[in-house]
Order: sequence, then structure tokens, then C-alpha cells
Amino acid sequence: MKKLIVKLMGGERFQTMRVSLFCIITSLIVGAAILLAIGKNPLAAFGNLLQGSGLMPKSSYAGRQNMFTDFMSFLDALTPMIFASLAVSAALKAGLFNIGVSGIMLASGFTASVLVGQSELSAFIAKPLVILIGIAVGAIVGALIGWLKYKFNINEVVSSIMINYILMYIITFFINTFFVDPISRQSKTITDSARLTLSGTRAFDLKFDVSLAFPLAIICAIVIKFLFDRTTTGFEIKAVGLSRKAAKYAGMSVPKNIILSMTVSGALAGLAGVTYFCGYFASIQPGVVPSMGFNAIAVALLGNSDPIGCIFSSFLVTVISKGSIYMSSQQGVEMEIADLITSVILIFTACAEFLKMYVGRLSMEQGGSEEAGEA
Amino acid sequence: MSTLDTIIIDGLAFALPMFIMAIGGIFSEKSGITNLALEGLQGFGAFCGGLTAVLMLRSFEGSSQIPYYVSFIAAIAGGMIYSLIHVALCIKFRANQVISGVVVNILAVALTVFLAKRINDGVFGQPSNKFVLETSVRFSVPGLSRIPVIGAIFKNVYPFEVMIIVIAALMWFVMYRTPFGMHLRACGDNPHAADAAGINVNRVRTIAVMISGGLSAIAGMSYAYSITSNFSPDIFLGYGYLSIAALIFGNWSVLPTLGACLIFGFARSSGQALITQLGMPSSYNDLVRILPYLLTLLLLIFFSKHNNSPRALGEIYDKGKR
Repeated sequence: MKKLIVKLMGGERFQTMRVSLFCIITSLIVGAAILLAIGKNPLAAFGNLLQGSGLMPKSSYAGRQNMFTDFMSFLDALTPMIFASLAVSAALKAGLFNIGVSGIMLASGFTASVLVGQSELSAFIAKPLVILIGIAVGAIVGALIGWLKYKFNINEVVSSIMINYILMYIITFFINTFFVDPISRQSKTITDSARLTLSGTRAFDLKFDVSLAFPLAIICAIVIKFLFDRTTTGFEIKAVGLSRKAAKYAGMSVPKNIILSMTVSGALAGLAGVTYFCGYFASIQPGVVPSMGFNAIAVALLGNSDPIGCIFSSFLVTVISKGSIYMSSQQGVEMEIADLITSVILIFTACAEFLKMYVGRLSMEQGGSEEAGEA
Repeated sequence: MSTLDTIIIDGLAFALPMFIMAIGGIFSEKSGITNLALEGLQGFGAFCGGLTAVLMLRSFEGSSQIPYYVSFIAAIAGGMIYSLIHVALCIKFRANQVISGVVVNILAVALTVFLAKRINDGVFGQPSNKFVLETSVRFSVPGLSRIPVIGAIFKNVYPFEVMIIVIAALMWFVMYRTPFGMHLRACGDNPHAADAAGINVNRVRTIAVMISGGLSAIAGMSYAYSITSNFSPDIFLGYGYLSIAALIFGNWSVLPTLGACLIFGFARSSGQALITQLGMPSSYNDLVRILPYLLTLLLLIFFSKHNNSPRALGEIYDKGKR
């Protein structure tokens, strides 16, 4: 058993990836055990997850729908998740936890819906405007959290949570007072020209949603990757994240880098907000903090806070969350089981460092005993 | 009842559970473990207590107070057991303590909602994610409650408020007047010195986090019996984080933290009283609900700069490190 573990996860090459994979598989086994315990077939349930995400064909489809429809809808849900996890990982690089992603998402989504969503602007102006508003609002809130951190030494976790609730209540108030749709009890639906998703596009006898921001998400991931791996700015932010004192000693400005990374993080969270509330959805439900902001923490950690890793981990978590709707209708399982599996993945991921250390120690022990045998 | 009385009564009912949760946080953080998990701990505690109460209410008469107290004991037990996850992640698996706290909170939401739905469906045969509890009975101290203004403290008191005050006093004693309390504070300030003095650092920290689990659970159960009058996902409203803010504002010591909690409580209740007084529509309540959070942020701006947190807070204890 121990030898197997070392073989699977020892060595330097791709170790992080292999450890992440180990965490995911172990969590899925735990998930399967839970499903078995409540008397469901785990294989069928996991199959439903894939089917619900358009990665496996379902047994039957409604008119004008097939696997492609589901997959496009899956991409639509994936887009904000990528942005949100990039937001978390950008902050993590500077050693900060941006738990305020949820609040920022609400703020940017709300601002964009109110300013552009009800206007008569043409699609070519409205859509870029929505994106720009998202970036601007997010960057402002993110910078505020960063500023509070360096100027007043306020733990960013506490301040971002406070800001989450403050934003949520303010927006709930405004929606309920001025922008409520009396039938759905949500905010008024935004116009199609402002929406970042082309919903109900008809082609090839199919009707599907096209997420316009998905390519932007991929580009963002690459840009962020480039920023952190290939530029001085990125290097400074990472240095500040690893050791503030060392960075200061080397002549880097700690406040500047903290605020910068939170601004980038906020801007990305803002993009997540507009793609979520003005793309995947077209309205905002008052009184709720979107849970995506919190799941994004899990996703970013799972992706080892690497932008490209974030794409893959967003993919996985979105499969679980998006597919859970179909799974719950097929298997009669509560949808929350998806969150449960996600949080189990998180627990294992939190132990990843320990796991690496443990594997290192095991391989050293084995290496030692082999050498002793040869001698 | 005058408005002032309402403000005091509601403010205390909100502040005291927050205070006991903050004391839990102080125990954990004084021992050197950052505890953002309070939010999850209080929710899980409320879940355990709520479940127990709902199960017991079926076999007891309506007026019996036994389920009320048993549910608190169940909540404490649940909170302590659940806090072991934080212990395992932080101490055994050496995870980053902030990450661990966040993980514990996310798991708490997923787990409690899943189980609540499951149990409601399986045991009670109704699809719901709530355990409906009755709002706790209240009592007034005869005589004392007649005093103007101050009398409101003794008017319409929830029994859990008395319980909290007793436990808080006990915890203050444990922290500042017993050898264990001293060991605990040593572990948070200089674990290596504590270790050299023969204290088992990890054991003390484990106990401290478990205490915080139990105390947070009392808070969660109190909120379930007063504000929401049920267990539902609504219990995760950030009160745990508010109490963390309170303990930072209170500089990691018990009595100033009480002050911070009272400020939050009265800010909340006076805001609500204001809305009722002015006869504004209920949607304006959302604006007032910002007050505790906003106040926290403002107070942290003034008090975070010069705080003296436990010196080894958030550090994984490594025997070999110097």
C-alpha cells in the first residue's frame, strides 16, 4: 500500500497534479460511499452528472435539444466559475483570501443590470459596456478590501465577509424597492441585447445558449498565467505573498502589490458577476449571496491557484454542480450531495501539502531501506 | 412596552449568543489556532440541537421544557464533535488554518442542508430543509423588571441568556484563573516555551478548539430558538464572522469582547426599532440589517492597527522549528 502511494505520487514531475487527482478520486469514492449508504447506484449517479453536463448522451431529449444543447448550457455555467476561481487565485498569489467574490459578483451584476440591462442600447454597445462595468465595479471593491488590509491591518477574510453582507443587503433593498419583477420576485429581467449569453439561438434544428464570454474566460486565464509567470509585476506579487518581510527587504512595495492583486482579483470577480447575473441568468434573486463565490475558493485551491489548473478544476466542479440537477431528478437524491462532494474534495485538497510531505517521507524511508538492502 | 425596552431586550438576545461564540473564538485563538470555522460550528450545533428538539417534541407534552435543555446539550456535543474536523485539519494534517476554517464552513452548509432534507424526507415524510422549533419561552424577573430602563434587562429574558452568562463567567474563570487557562495562553504566545515546560501543545490546542465548538453551538442553538425559530440554512448568516470581528475588536480578551458584542446587538435592535417607529415598509429592514456589519468594519478600521493578537496565532506548531 505504502509503495503504491509512493509510486503514484512520489517524485517531482507533475506531483501537484497527481496529488490533486488523488484528492479528487478519493473524494469521488467518498461520494460513492454516501450514495451507496442512501441506497443509490453511485455509477448511475455519476453518469447522470456527466449526462446533465452534456458530456454523455441522455436516454431521451425534448424537442430541439440534444447533447450539444446541454453542453452549451454547461459552458454557460462554466464561464463565471472560471472567472470566480481566477479571482480567488489572483488574490491567493499575494497570500490573501478573497472571500468577497460573492459580494463583488452581486455588486457588479447588479450595477450592470441597472445601468445597461434596462436601456435601449444596441447589442454592440451594450455587451462590451456590461463587461467594462463588471470589471470596474469589481476592481473598485477589490481595491477597497486590499486598501483596508494594508492601511488598517484588517484581516481581509473578515472585511470581505462584512462587505459581502453589506452589499447583499443593500442590493436586496434596491431590488425589492425599485427593480422588483412582481411575478418572479426577482430583479427585472435584463434585455437580450445586454445579455452576455445568446439564449435560444436556433441552428441545425436545435435551440441552444451561446456563452459569448467563454472565450474571454480562457483568454483571461492565459493572461493571468502570463502575468504571474512571466512579468516583474507578477513576480513581485508572488514574492509579497510568500514573505512580506523578504519582499520589503528586497525593495518591493508591499502595499502597492497587495492592492494591485486585490484589484485584479476584484476585476475578475466582477467579470464572474456579469457573466453570472447578466449571462447565465438574466436577473438577480434578492436576499441571497451566490454560493459560487465560496465554491470558487474550493476550485482555486483544487487548481493549486494556477490559472490553467483553475480551468480544469472549474470544469470538474461545474460538472458536479450542473449535473446534480439532472442527477437529483433521475435518482431522487438531494441536490446538496453535489455540494457535499465538492466540500469533501476541498477537505482533501486542504491536506495536499501534508500529503506531499508524507509521500516524501515514505519514499525516503523506502529509498533508505533499499539502499540498506543493497549494502 | 417602550421602544427603549424593545431595543434593550432584542439587543441582549442578539448580543449574548454572539458573546459566547466569541469566547469560543478567544479560546481557540489564544491557544494559537485561527478559527474562522465558528460560522460552521454554530450552524452544525444548531442542526444537531434542532434535530434533537424536533425528535423529542414528538414524545413530550407541549409545555415541557425538557426538549429545550436537552437540545442545547445535543448542540454542544454536536459542535464539539464537528470541531474535530478543524482540529484534524489544523493539527494533524497541518493545513493552512484559514483554509481549514473556510472548508469547515462550506462543509457545514452542505452537510446540514443535505442531512436536514434527508431526515425530513425519511423520518417525518415531508420535503423541507427546516426543523421548525417553537420560539423559546421568555420570563421576566418579578420586581426587578419594573425598574424603568434598566429593568428591561430583566424583562422577557430567554432562558438561554441566563445560561450564557453563567457559562461565560465560568469560561472567564477557566481562562484567567486556572492552570489550564494559563497553559492555553502560553500555547498561543510561545508554544515552544510551553512545550519545554512540559505542556502538550497539541493536546491543549485540541481541547481549546473543541471548547470553541461547544460554545459556538450554544450560540447557534440560541439563534435557532430566537431569531429564526427554526433550523434552516438561514442560520448561516455570518454571525460567526461577526463574532470573530467582535473578538478582534475586543483585543482577544473576554470583557472588552462583551462590549463589542453589546454594541453590535444594540446597533441591530435600534435599527429595527427605528424602522418600526418611522413606519417604513418592511423592505427597509434590509437597509438596517447592514448596521452590525458596517459597524464591525468601521470599528475594525479604528482598532485593528494596534491589536496584539496571540503571537503564534495561525502558525502550525512544529517541534523542530526554532
